[in-house]
Amino acid sequence: MNAPTIEYAELAPLITIFGAAVIGVLIEAFVPRKVRHPVQVAVALLALVAALVQVILLAGTGMVAAVGAVAVDGPALFLQGTILVLAIISVAFFAERRLEAGGDAFAPAASTLPGSEEERILVRERMLQTEVYPLALFAVGGMLLFPAANDLLMLFIALEVMSLPLYLLCGMARRRRLLSQEAALKYFLLGAFSSAIFLFGMAFVYGYAGTLRFGEISEALTANIGQDGILLAGVGLMAVGLLFKVGAVPFHSWTPDVYQGAPTPVTGFMAACTKLAAFGAMVRLFYVAFGGMRTDWQPMLWAVAIATMLVGAVVALTQTDIKRMLAYSSIAHAGFVLTAMVAADQTATAAILFYLATYGIATLGAFAVVTLVRDSGGEATHLAKWAGLGRRSPVLAATFALFLLAFAGIPLTSGFVGKLSVFTAAIDGGAAPLVVVGVIASAIAAFFYVRVIVLMFFSDPAPEGPTVAVPSLWTAVGITLGAAATLLLGIVPGPLLDLAQQASLFVR
Amino acid sequence: MMLAVIAAHFVAAALAPALVAWLRRPALLLLAAVPAAGFGWAVAMTGRVHDGDPVEQRIRWVDELGLELSFRLTTLTWVMTLLVTGVGALVLAYCAAYFRRDDGGLARFAGLLTAFAGAMLGLVLADDLLVLYVFWELTTVLSYLLIGHNPERKANRRAALQALMVTTFGGLAMLVGVIVIGQTAGTYRISEVQANPPSGDAVTVAVVLVLVGAVSKSALVPFHFWLPGAMAAPTPVSAYLHAAAMVKAGVYLVALLAPAFAGLMPWRPLLLTLGVLTMLLGGLRALRQTDLKLLLAYGTVSQLGFLIVLVGAGTRSAALAGVAMLVAHALFKASLFLVVGLIDRATGTRDLRELSGLGRRLPVLLVTSVLAAASMAAIPPLAGFVAKETAYAAVVDIAETGDGTGVGAFAGWALVAGLAAGSALTAAYSIRFVWGAFATKPGVEPLEASDCRFPSVGFVAAPVVLAAAGLVLGFLGPAETTLLEPYADLFPEGVHEPELALWHGVNTALLLSIASVLVGIALFRWRDGVDRVEGVLAPPTDAESAYRAIMRGVDRLAVEVTGTTQRGSLPSYLAVIFLVVVAVPGGVLVAGQLWGGDGVSVRAWDSVGQAVVGAITIVAAVLAVRSRRRLKAVVLAGGTGYGMAMLFILHGAPDLALTQVLVETVTLVVFVLVLRQLPTYFSDRPLTSSRWWRLGLGAAVGVVMAGLALAASGARTADPVSEGFAEPAVSYGGGHNIVNVTLVDIRAWDTMGEISVLVVAATGVASLIFLITSRDGRWRPDDAIASAPPRHGHRPHRNLWLRAGRTVAPEDRSILFEVVTRLAFHVIIVFSVYLLFVGHNAPGGGFAGGLVAGLALMVRYLAGGRHELDEAAPVDAGLVLGIGLFVATGTGLVPLLFGGDVLQSAVVDFELPLVGHVHFVTSLFFDVGVYLVVVGLMLDVLRSLGGGIDEQSDDEDSDTAEPAETESSIETAEGVR
Repeated sequence: MNAPTIEYAELAPLITIFGAAVIGVLIEAFVPRKVRHPVQVAVALLALVAALVQVILLAGTGMVAAVGAVAVDGPALFLQGTILVLAIISVAFFAERRLEAGGDAFAPAASTLPGSEEERILVRERMLQTEVYPLALFAVGGMLLFPAANDLLMLFIALEVMSLPLYLLCGMARRRRLLSQEAALKYFLLGAFSSAIFLFGMAFVYGYAGTLRFGEISEALTANIGQDGILLAGVGLMAVGLLFKVGAVPFHSWTPDVYQGAPTPVTGFMAACTKLAAFGAMVRLFYVAFGGMRTDWQPMLWAVAIATMLVGAVVALTQTDIKRMLAYSSIAHAGFVLTAMVAADQTATAAILFYLATYGIATLGAFAVVTLVRDSGGEATHLAKWAGLGRRSPVLAATFALFLLAFAGIPLTSGFVGKLSVFTAAIDGGAAPLVVVGVIASAIAAFFYVRVIVLMFFSDPAPEGPTVAVPSLWTAVGITLGAAATLLLGIVPGPLLDLAQQASLFVR
Repeated sequence: MMLAVIAAHFVAAALAPALVAWLRRPALLLLAAVPAAGFGWAVAMTGRVHDGDPVEQRIRWVDELGLELSFRLTTLTWVMTLLVTGVGALVLAYCAAYFRRDDGGLARFAGLLTAFAGAMLGLVLADDLLVLYVFWELTTVLSYLLIGHNPERKANRRAALQALMVTTFGGLAMLVGVIVIGQTAGTYRISEVQANPPSGDAVTVAVVLVLVGAVSKSALVPFHFWLPGAMAAPTPVSAYLHAAAMVKAGVYLVALLAPAFAGLMPWRPLLLTLGVLTMLLGGLRALRQTDLKLLLAYGTVSQLGFLIVLVGAGTRSAALAGVAMLVAHALFKASLFLVVGLIDRATGTRDLRELSGLGRRLPVLLVTSVLAAASMAAIPPLAGFVAKETAYAAVVDIAETGDGTGVGAFAGWALVAGLAAGSALTAAYSIRFVWGAFATKPGVEPLEASDCRFPSVGFVAAPVVLAAAGLVLGFLGPAETTLLEPYADLFPEGVHEPELALWHGVNTALLLSIASVLVGIALFRWRDGVDRVEGVLAPPTDAESAYRAIMRGVDRLAVEVTGTTQRGSLPSYLAVIFLVVVAVPGGVLVAGQLWGGDGVSVRAWDSVGQAVVGAITIVAAVLAVRSRRRLKAVVLAGGTGYGMAMLFILHGAPDLALTQVLVETVTLVVFVLVLRQLPTYFSDRPLTSSRWWRLGLGAAVGVVMAGLALAASGARTADPVSEGFAEPAVSYGGGHNIVNVTLVDIRAWDTMGEISVLVVAATGVASLIFLITSRDGRWRPDDAIASAPPRHGHRPHRNLWLRAGRTVAPEDRSILFEVVTRLAFHVIIVFSVYLLFVGHNAPGGGFAGGLVAGLALMVRYLAGGRHELDEAAPVDAGLVLGIGLFVATGTGLVPLLFGGDVLQSAVVDFELPLVGHVHFVTSLFFDVGVYLVVVGLMLDVLRSLGGGIDEQSDDEDSDTAEPAETESSIETAEGVR
């Protein structure tokens, strides 16, 4: 038995992150409680930055590593870099401790019963729960692996490695813990089911192709063995798992509940990074492995994209909770990305990469703003409480408005360029009707984004409205970066678009 | 240079707040210098533009999307630039006097208006469709903010939002159109698209979409309602938005694309119809208004319709007339709005029912208004008349000959009639405006000098200049023709070469002009009658209520969808996922695509036994679903498992059957342990309808899954991997039980991973359920039994079958059970060890052995309670787990010392006295590790789910019966001593 060759240099970012996550677990065990928080934050940030540097150094690589299981190519590296940048900002948001008077957004101990005496004692003693950092690192590791996975097994493992820590993270909110735990449970149960279905689909695909490697599956498609039924069923079932992760209709229903219940920094992290990773994996799977049968899956994606855009946009209209509204908007955005996916060519890949990057940045920033608007009960997420925010805190409200305008795709924000590139790709790919639906959905979506802006700037502040907490440098820097990037990518998107274009070729 | 002019506006806008804070109102004059400079630049470019040498500037912006900041000054854009900058400068200067000294939002307003002027300039200069769109959206957003100025009033906010929604909708439609045109043409450059217009069905749709954008922006029917609503804006803003900017963007876009696309099928019918309708509707509405500003607003709607007809007609004459009308309209409409602003400021009202005798007080305004209104009503010698003459000539050409448009005679004359009627209405409301603002009306008290403040010269300057320009332009027809000709020449030559002039001789056009003015006067004279007629004709529903209905409908839809799909109910979420599973692969299944060519042949059964067992299993499964008691459901579910085991036996797989039975038993007991703490029934609700469809869905999922499994196994083309196991299991693994050899040798790595997971799971169960994080000797039985509270009626010195039995309440004890346990326990343990050792060749193995040992422990626990469990296994479960894992790993690593591979096994045969021949395989040690891990897991599960729950319920009991417990525990302590 010969040991397989492992390309350690090319896999360095993954190894760094997973290694740091394991070190994080050890820190939990061995470092005294008092210094654990700064040590964990430092380790997490160091690892993320180190991995980012490694990804940047790898730029331009195009190879399949780890005996064909992991691709190190443009799309993978682009997404990994973006995920790492977003994760760095997310960890900064996790580390924010000024908003809760010395505490962070997480329950001091997730295992205490909500409302119990133990919980009160821990809160009083300002205990900090630091397990979130290793958990986040594991999740990031999974996210890095997910879009790079080049065989079915690795794809599934990455999916689970990414998801399991997220289930936990969702249940750890400091406030409204029952809501948070319910969210975690729902996410877990639904996620487990969709994973199982995904796995089942994988088995079918394997049964058809006789191989797990994407490249070989693609060859099997061209060889045309017959038994298309098995393949179709397999692709359909696998799509369920992936569409669940990206939050596409009809597998979207977890999104609002989970986004609302999870601690807001985690929601931001999930909304931005999970979507990136899942779309990355989906694009690779459908383009590289199933590219030869696109005529079979395109109709399915058409239907899903249309439903996703419309449901996301329409249902968002009635939301009165800002986090739920952002959740539905994320659903609509998933639909916009799907319109480009239907095109299935290199331009589409580039457009998706760019869109995901800009969307991730704006989303992270928007959720960070949500953490700052607070009243006595914690975050004031009810929209009515946001009335007149622009009068009280013009800078914050303007920042949030910028993010919303970017979501709406108004020119001179990154969202416009993203939407434009996605729609252009879709039209080139012959999906003009999808673009028409996309535009209708955009118009509806614009309505509710603008409504929030109107509410913030043109309504009278509620007499007992929330206050805007002054964040520490962690959050302030994160939000500023997000806003700057959103604006900058709207005005000079060239370099990033260029990068996405160069990175849009899948290794096979 | 063009980019610099545009950028200057934005820089000025950015500086505006600071400037206003510093200089107050005069800062606006400084800001006005920016568009004024732009105006000057455009004037300086006149020669070049006229010589057909367009000024161009291109800067690469986003190469990847083909986005290019490209600007181009041609005749049409030159005209628009003059209007945008000229009117912009005048309005800004006017604002310096219009706003009160203490107006709060001035800084914001000044910045926005300047930025808006910049965006509008960018829009008209852009030579790239996407850049044009960017500026288009910018004007939308900025105009929204301008209209929403003074946001305290709810009406303002609503009007602003309405304007934004309508124009954004149009803008997005336009974006799609623009992208389609750009992608089909291969370029987004407007000049190139004009030169080589693309064609095809997609382009036709795209052009219609672009027109939707233009029509919504220019407030044509059916989007006309937003414009009067937007009158909430400060008057100078209205003047600018309605005269030169914003609404003109739509007209400009149509004019820009007409040379390229006027020939497309839907272009003319769409624009001409909507234009005429709008012209008539706006005119009629204008006649009924009492607010001077609203009167002008509806007038604008009407005029926009007229303009769209002209620029959209796509003939040379119409194009020339259209541009001339564009200029004339900008001049007179801006002037009139500014006059209204002056009246408002001077008298405090804009209501024509309250104004009387103003003409005598403010003669300058009267003259200005008369000039502007006369231009609007097309009375010579003003610019409006000149333009309208040419316009009539153009449409009469279309009606008479078609003029290359393909418009039939009937439609053509209808067009002429419509425009003439519209013009009559225009004349009527022009008169109404002048009369309403300045006339001395009977029954209304005339204004006294003290009632109105005379405006400053600077305040009056802007409207006067604009009105005068309209007069001067009237006499410059030939010069105007020369300047505008290059644009008109983009269209094919028509029946007559058009010319702008005051006098063309007596012709149809002149007659139409005269007629429409006369009818207009008549309409005004008998306005009450017109009012009545219109009241009858007014449509019961208008577009605005349609807009509201759509908005409400979408809201309603959203609520309904949310209500039905987002109840937060996990079952319904899951149902959706399941439905898809049933529909998609199920659909494939039903379609028969999975069965391959010759289908799957299914054999009912090999032996009758199978049929019987199968039937029992099915019955158990159905009953399990139907049962409402938890315990019953669990037991029945277990029944299906035992049925499975039976099937294994019937298939000749005793090893699998053994494992299945053991696992099933353990699961059942663990279930029961947990169920003790749960209510007996699943729910108190009777069978509701929702349960029935859930049942149905569950059954459907089951059927689909079964079908898929059948199809998948039927579709096998490769040989099963296990076929190659039998031979090496003996030759390399040294065992005849292939299953066991597979576990400990062939697939030992898998087992390794699985037992690791098992250890983690056990630790997880222990720590999650009862927070047993410190394994600190809780299990020591002596102390526990000694200190355990005795049960009532207990006698301490009696001999016992089970030592800890006395800790169990007497009513829960069964002496028979205790005796049997005592006798059987060691036998079972020995049997488990036997299973472990023979596993290599006979059914058994570490896993099965471990489960049997675990069951033995379980029996002890059930018979004697948690302390009896500690008595039976006085070790920490963690220790057992750890040793097990250590042994397994160690066995895996030892071969390395002898130069072998990890987990390689060696076969040793030797003779042992008494026992005889021993066939020993080293993988047995590995199996021992597995055995220990399973035992440890069972111990952990029993301790946490069994003992832990007991302890908790004991605590709860003692909480409720505190005094009695305390007493008896003292007694026990004594008794033990």
